[in-house]
Parts: sequence; C-alpha cells; structure tokens
Amino acid sequence: MEKVMTEKQSAKGWEPKIIAIVCNWCTYAGADLAGISRIQYPPNVRIVRVPCTGRINPFYILKALQEGADGVLVSGCHPGECHYITGNLTARRKFAALKRFLSYIGLEGDRTLFTWVSASEGDRFAQVVRGVTDAVRALGPAQKLVKRI
Amino acid sequence: MENVEKKLREEAKRLLSEKKVDVVVGYEAGTLPLTATPCFITTPEETERLVWNPFCVQNLGKFVHDLLNQHHEAQKRVKPEARRKKVVGVVTRGCTSRSLVIQLQEKQYEREEVVILGVPCGGYVDRKKLSALTGGEEIREGSLQDGRISARTWNGEHQAVLKELLADNCLTCRFNRPVLADIEMGEAATAAEAEREYEAVRAFENLPAEERWAYFEKEMAKCIRCCACRNVCPSCYCRICFAEQSQPQWIGIGSDPSDTQLFQLMRMYHMVGRCVDCGSCVAVCPMGVDLRKFLKKLDSDAFELFGHRAGVALEEPAPLGAYRENDREDFIFDPKSGA
Repeated sequence: MEKVMTEKQSAKGWEPKIIAIVCNWCTYAGADLAGISRIQYPPNVRIVRVPCTGRINPFYILKALQEGADGVLVSGCHPGECHYITGNLTARRKFAALKRFLSYIGLEGDRTLFTWVSASEGDRFAQVVRGVTDAVRALGPAQKLVKRI
Repeated sequence: MENVEKKLREEAKRLLSEKKVDVVVGYEAGTLPLTATPCFITTPEETERLVWNPFCVQNLGKFVHDLLNQHHEAQKRVKPEARRKKVVGVVTRGCTSRSLVIQLQEKQYEREEVVILGVPCGGYVDRKKLSALTGGEEIREGSLQDGRISARTWNGEHQAVLKELLADNCLTCRFNRPVLADIEMGEAATAAEAEREYEAVRAFENLPAEERWAYFEKEMAKCIRCCACRNVCPSCYCRICFAEQSQPQWIGIGSDPSDTQLFQLMRMYHMVGRCVDCGSCVAVCPMGVDLRKFLKKLDSDAFELFGHRAGVALEEPAPLGAYRENDREDFIFDPKSGA
C-alpha cells in the first residue's frame, strides 16, 4: 500500500504545498532576513502575511487544508515580543485548542504547525521551513478534510 | 417536583404582578404526551401553564438572549428619553444558568435584565431513548410516577425507570443546582456521576487516529446542515453566522462532505470553554449526529489547558479572550527537535 502510494506520488512529482501564515512584524521580517542573507530553504511554502497572529481566524487554517494545502504553518513573534503586546498570547490559546481538537478528530498533528520566529532569526525561519516541509513530506498528500471538486 | 412547580408558578405570578419582569420564559406541557415545550408567560394568570418536570429539555438561555437582543435593537429606534428596560424572568436549571453566565461574561446584556428562577434538576428524558423504549411507536398516553415512566402506545404499555431514559449529558452532570440564581426553589436534586464525565472522550482518544477520523467522517456524513444545533445553542448568537456568510464564503453551499465537516468543526471550535453540555444540540439534531463526543473534548481541553470550566464564574473571562503568560506551549514546533 505504502509503496503504491509513494510510486503514485513520485509519478505525479508530488511536492508538499504548505501555507505559511506569518505575522508582519516578526516572522515576515525573519523570512525577509533569510532572503537577504541568502539562506536556502525549500520553496514549498506560500507565505501569507497578516498583521498579527492574533488576527488569524482559525478558520483560515481549516480553509487552507480544505482547499488543498498539505500543511499549514503559523508563525508569529515570540511571546512577550508582540507588536500589539498580547496578540500572540491569545493566539497561542486559540491554536493550542485547535491543534488538540484536530488531532482528536483524527487529523495528522503535523499538518498544522505553530511556531515563533522573530525578525532577527532568518536562520531559524529557514530551519522551520525545512522542518515543516520534511514533516509534511513524511505525511504525504493531504487526504482528510480536502474538497474534491 | 410538585412543590417546585407550585413554588415556580407562585414566584412567576408574583414577579409578573409586581411588574418586576416583563416576561417569564419557562416550560409548559407539550401537545404530545411526555413532552414539555418552551413558553413565554406575560400575564400573572398565565403562570398556571408553567411546568417543571424531566421532560423540559431545551436550554432557555437561547430565548433570553434573543428576547433581550431584539429589545436592544428595537430600542435603538426610540428616542433616548423614551427608552425602557426589559426584564426577562427565566426558569433556570444548572446548564441554563451556565449559559446565562456565559452571555453575561460576554456582555450580551446586563445582570439586571434577567431574573433567574433557579430550579433543581435531576436530568431530562432523552426523546431518542424514549422512542427506543416504545420501539418507535407513537405514545398515546404517558405518565411519570415515583421515578418510573410508563408510556402507552397503540400496541401496549411500556415501562422504564426514569434514570434509564435520562440524556447522556444529564447522567454525568455536575451542576444539579444553578450556579447563579435570584430566587432558588426546591431541594437539591440527586447528584449525577460527575466523575464519569469524560469517560467517553478518554475512550475515544485512545483509538487509533484512522478510526477516529473514520468515526468523525461517518458522523458528519449524517449532517444535513439544517443548522438546528446552531439555532438552539445559547452560545451561538452571532448576528451573521459564518455558515451563511457569503463574503468570504467559508462554507460551500454544495453537498461536498468537506463543507459539512468544516461547518461542524468550526461550529464546535467556537465552543471552546463555552459549551455547557446542556445537550440541546444533540436533542434537536434530526439526524442523530454524535456531537457530544466532540464537544465534550473541547470542554475537557478548556479545563486542562486553561483551567476554565464554561459558565461557572461571572468574573472569569472567556478562555479564548484571555491569556496567561505561562500558558502551555508544548505544541509549539521546534525545528531542532523535529516536532
């Protein structure tokens, strides 16, 4: 079964498609730093910039998965460093509950990942993207919650 | 139960004749045997219609919110000097009181706008269990005496102990008394087995992920998206629900299973620390979707992660609207360790 699956994937040349929802003040700047420092990271992420992680409606994450993302990465400022003081602290609660709930219903935990990357951590951003891409690649294409039309 | 009912009518009558409340939201006998239905009492004479028995199912918090919300909207079109307050009296059991607390926490209305008539509750009868007892046959007559229910159908008499017919959420309820009440009546009802509250959740958690997903898929496939669960839920009161929003359109209007799954997922996710386990959504679901298995998990998570039990303390903010500096962070992805 597994072999058939991998064959299918390689035949199609499947590459994980990852949506990275990042905050404007830290992670986006971190990604920018990774870029200007010419740090290589996999081109599998599509970055969506939002003002703050606290602005992210958990529905964005589910909607991304439904519309064909293989994984969703959410990243913002480290706790205590939020541009809006507490945006990421409320976000942390939202995502903790969401991630647990998604695992509960049987969705793979590694499809939705949350992390913090600050503006000075270009290196960490590249590492995160590498890690996330590997994790999602190991899971294979998304099968659950996906709209098939 | 008898004297609670009597006291309830007296209190409602007094409140209405003294003009302390404009309307009392309560239950009256339903049109079918062994049922009760929500009712709105506006005159002292009508209070005789009020009943309190194990057939009162629905969480009345929904009506309180709707009445007050409509009133607030209507008052916007009135000159400031002519504006008046509306006060709603509400027959309140444990779960209803928690819903009211949630609505008060979320500043939906003022505390003075509700008069809470607290009643003890030992659980309500699950219609589906009752229907299973009679084999789905129509009940022509029914009675409840000394904790035994008897239901007569065209083909014979069916009997059962009340406890066997109680809804699942009532069996493990820890709120037999209202958490908030202006007038309390009756003695405390017998407590349920609260320690078994999360038994089903724990059992489900231990299944392999594929089985859990298969179960979720199977349950959600039943859903016809009639939104009865949302309409009956006292914690669901957005003016425009995401389910009907068209800009952006969160939920596709077609019959794709993923749209239904997403609708349910998102509706349930809104219940983190806000679900009081009143069982109204399960009771009204025409397709018998096992919503409780998922909602209970959110309830248990809210307690585990944030130490929050829905609608217990007025001063405590909703868990997802608050934070602590030392909230748990074990789910944060660390690229060094891999996951």
